[in-house]
Amino acid sequence: MNIILFATATLIVTNIFTGCKKDDDDPTNPGTPNESELITTAVLTFTDSAGVAPDVTTIFRDTDGDGGAAPTQFDTIRLQNSTTYFMDVLLLDESGSPTDTISNEVEEEAVDHMFFYTQSGVNIATTYLDSDSNGLPLGLQTRWVTGNVSSGTSTITLKHQPGVKDGTQAPGETDIEVVFESRVE
Amino acid sequence: MVFILMQSVALIAQCTLEMKGTVVDADTREPLGYSNVVIVELQKGAATDESGNYIIKGICPGNYTVRVSHLSCESKDFKLEITADLVRNFELPHSLNELKGVSISAERQKDVPIQAVQEITGEDLDKTRGSSLGESLKGVTGISELKTGSSVSKPVIHGLHSNRVLILNNGIRQEGQQWGSEHAPEIDPFIATQLTVIKGANSVRYGSDAIAGVILVEPAAMPDSSGVRGELNLVGFSNNREGVVSAIAEQRFEKIKALSWRLQGTLKKGGNTKTPDYYLKNTGYEEENFSWALGWNKPTYGLEVFYSQFNSSIGIFSGSHIGNLTDLQAAFDRDEPLEQSGFSYHIDRPFQRAEHELLKTKGWLLTGTTGKFSVTYARQYNLRYEYDKHRPLNDALAALNLPELTYEITSHSVDLLWEHNSYKGFTGMVGCSGMTQGNTFEGRKFIPNYINNTAGLFVVERYRKNKLLMEAGARMDIRELTVYEKENGIVNSYEYNYQNFSGTTGVIYDVTKNIRITANLGTAWRAPAVNELYSDGLHHGAAAIEIGDTSLVPEKSWNAIVSAMLFDHNRFAIEISGYYNLINDFIYLKPVLPPTLTIRGAFPTYRYEQADATLKGIDAMVRYHLTAHTELHVRADIVRAFNEEANDFLQMMPADHFEYGATINLPEWKKTKSNHLMLSVNQVLRQHRVPDEADYVAPPSGYVLLIAEAGTILTFGKQAIHLSLTVTNLLNTSYRDYLNRFRYYADEQGRNVSLKIKVPFQFTKKNKFI
Repeated sequence: MNIILFATATLIVTNIFTGCKKDDDDPTNPGTPNESELITTAVLTFTDSAGVAPDVTTIFRDTDGDGGAAPTQFDTIRLQNSTTYFMDVLLLDESGSPTDTISNEVEEEAVDHMFFYTQSGVNIATTYLDSDSNGLPLGLQTRWVTGNVSSGTSTITLKHQPGVKDGTQAPGETDIEVVFESRVE
Repeated sequence: MVFILMQSVALIAQCTLEMKGTVVDADTREPLGYSNVVIVELQKGAATDESGNYIIKGICPGNYTVRVSHLSCESKDFKLEITADLVRNFELPHSLNELKGVSISAERQKDVPIQAVQEITGEDLDKTRGSSLGESLKGVTGISELKTGSSVSKPVIHGLHSNRVLILNNGIRQEGQQWGSEHAPEIDPFIATQLTVIKGANSVRYGSDAIAGVILVEPAAMPDSSGVRGELNLVGFSNNREGVVSAIAEQRFEKIKALSWRLQGTLKKGGNTKTPDYYLKNTGYEEENFSWALGWNKPTYGLEVFYSQFNSSIGIFSGSHIGNLTDLQAAFDRDEPLEQSGFSYHIDRPFQRAEHELLKTKGWLLTGTTGKFSVTYARQYNLRYEYDKHRPLNDALAALNLPELTYEITSHSVDLLWEHNSYKGFTGMVGCSGMTQGNTFEGRKFIPNYINNTAGLFVVERYRKNKLLMEAGARMDIRELTVYEKENGIVNSYEYNYQNFSGTTGVIYDVTKNIRITANLGTAWRAPAVNELYSDGLHHGAAAIEIGDTSLVPEKSWNAIVSAMLFDHNRFAIEISGYYNLINDFIYLKPVLPPTLTIRGAFPTYRYEQADATLKGIDAMVRYHLTAHTELHVRADIVRAFNEEANDFLQMMPADHFEYGATINLPEWKKTKSNHLMLSVNQVLRQHRVPDEADYVAPPSGYVLLIAEAGTILTFGKQAIHLSLTVTNLLNTSYRDYLNRFRYYADEQGRNVSLKIKVPFQFTKKNKFI
């Protein structure tokens, strides 16, 4: 009984002296919100492997992130028929200054990420040109081979698959998913 | 052991004395039929007949506490020494205030409630031990449970929850992060000896936000007799291999009678929940809580200090974290989550950490014979960290392992209250309260910084005459909310002022001794919460964009509840209530077209809008004694909720719920008593009353669950050990519940066997443990 009493007294006294936990921030002086790593912009750059057809740059840009204002730029992919293109993806965070190049981080964490390209109605065949350290595709660099004149959509998806990447699209969560209008002309 | 010996000695003594007398109402002097007179130490007692007479035989000589109770009165303890046959009459006060004696129970305002009130206490509370507050309350008619996975549970009263349910923790309004369905109340139910649910709008006594009702989490009064006593609770759950240890000890000093203390603590740890077919990855949780109290109580004044701390870490089911609608659709289409795991206690990202601290000091003083004045100050500090599944891509940031979201809310409140004693049949109280609260955030923005100041003034009076009890109250509140936002490097502030009048009136009428009618009309209001004003962006996890509206006005509810109680002491008890709740300017999320286009795809978009809504329903409970040992019960909860302006149903409303059960009380056997077996069937129908196009998938099917329970009290001399074994989801049924936000991703918990052990202990001078 005396032990209980002693323990209680010690605890209460300690509690009184160590005091309550405290918020050190001032409500009237808020900090800047930290949107932990926004991807605002996807730039797809197509280069003709033969160097004949002009380069094509297609951009999706929504600088204020999810919600808020509508995307400010949402291009259509326009490629020449019967041409082989190399395509590079550049992902940017343009919400702050300076602009952050998110695709560099994706490249660093290649084992946890993978891009997927789905063509619908449009005559394009896509193959991976890069891979991660486990030999699984990454997709920052791809080859796009166009066929006949056609139009449809090209969906670009980036999945974050930490520990579960197996080369398929199902695992993990989606970081970006943009459905571009696309045309082979 | 000494105490066994002492008891044997007592048994040999002459136990042939008898005590008899009459129990009357202290105010009206009318005899109180069907009162109970119990000698606490002997667990022996009798009920009074219609004329208030009782007789207890076979009493051994000694010093006793006699507890006298009646349905419509506060129970009262009397100390007696019985040496010979005795005639003793008792008076019971209708209202506690007039005759409250020395004891600290004076602290507790506990009149006959005029509202629709239900309490969980004693054995019923024991059955919920180890569960969260939300789970503990779901046994009350009219209450359902809003869940986010298996570990976050919030109480729903008559279809409403979160900001619309006010929770009082030891008399103090809980000021935490109540806005989201994924934020459970930061309260350890082990601090309470009673959980009370007051259904219906009730702003007058407790202030704004009580649109649907009030939940009181109440610790016992400080001890009123000397000696150290306490309780040890041990609970184990099979499903997630959870263990809970909780202990409480308290003492009133023999030499310094005014001084008492209490110490309480709880540890809880559980691992991944298992559905009938698979484990839910990352659904472990842990809690470490403690509280202490010190009291200095004299006959005419007293002071108490209470401190509590709640700390919890809750893993969020990995499979529920989705990036966009495609992920969500894929999750619906799968029978089982893609990411699975075995059993583990490890909590990984995503998870949340919540801490809550309450310091309360209360002083009271009898104002002569007229009444009692009390002043209460409380400080609360609430901290919440949210860790996303996604660590930052940037290595340097990722290495810090910081939460993506931090909120801190600090609240200070002061309450002044004067309760006056019966004067010409009137009793009542007048009070005022004030609070100032600051919120800050770090990381991803969802709720901006704000300072919220409130003040209120109220008066409640009740009048009793014969079989009628009437009550009326009024309150005025003001609220001033200032939001601070940093825009382009400059801090801007926005001020919102709200004021409101609320009222309540009610009546209890005892038609006969076996029929009681209660009717209550109340109002409540709620100012728009900061998320409803300010959210603008993707609600992660909900895969929806939510847009706030700074022009929202307070919502106001008009609530009527009528209850009828019919009881015949040994045969049956029927309690049925009907309610109608009209809420003007009900704030809800309305779908907006077209969906918002983002780099992650298109998201459904909702805007906070207001419309008049009605919620009506029935709560019913029938208990019937089939035989002396067998009791049957049936419970029904039915809610109908409608948006009157859109002419459509309201979302996320509980489906019709029925419960059928049988309890068999077995006779005492050897060293056991209170032996019982219980089997109940819980039936939840499919919720098909949902608005069109407001949800991704149709509500899940209805389900039927079986619950079985067995309990006993083992006695070794004076030492009792309470044991109970419960199996929930006995048939290991796979099901999903409409009120669980994770119904999109996974099944509910499978079979769960729990063992609860309660060991009350007591050390007094006379019988020490050796």
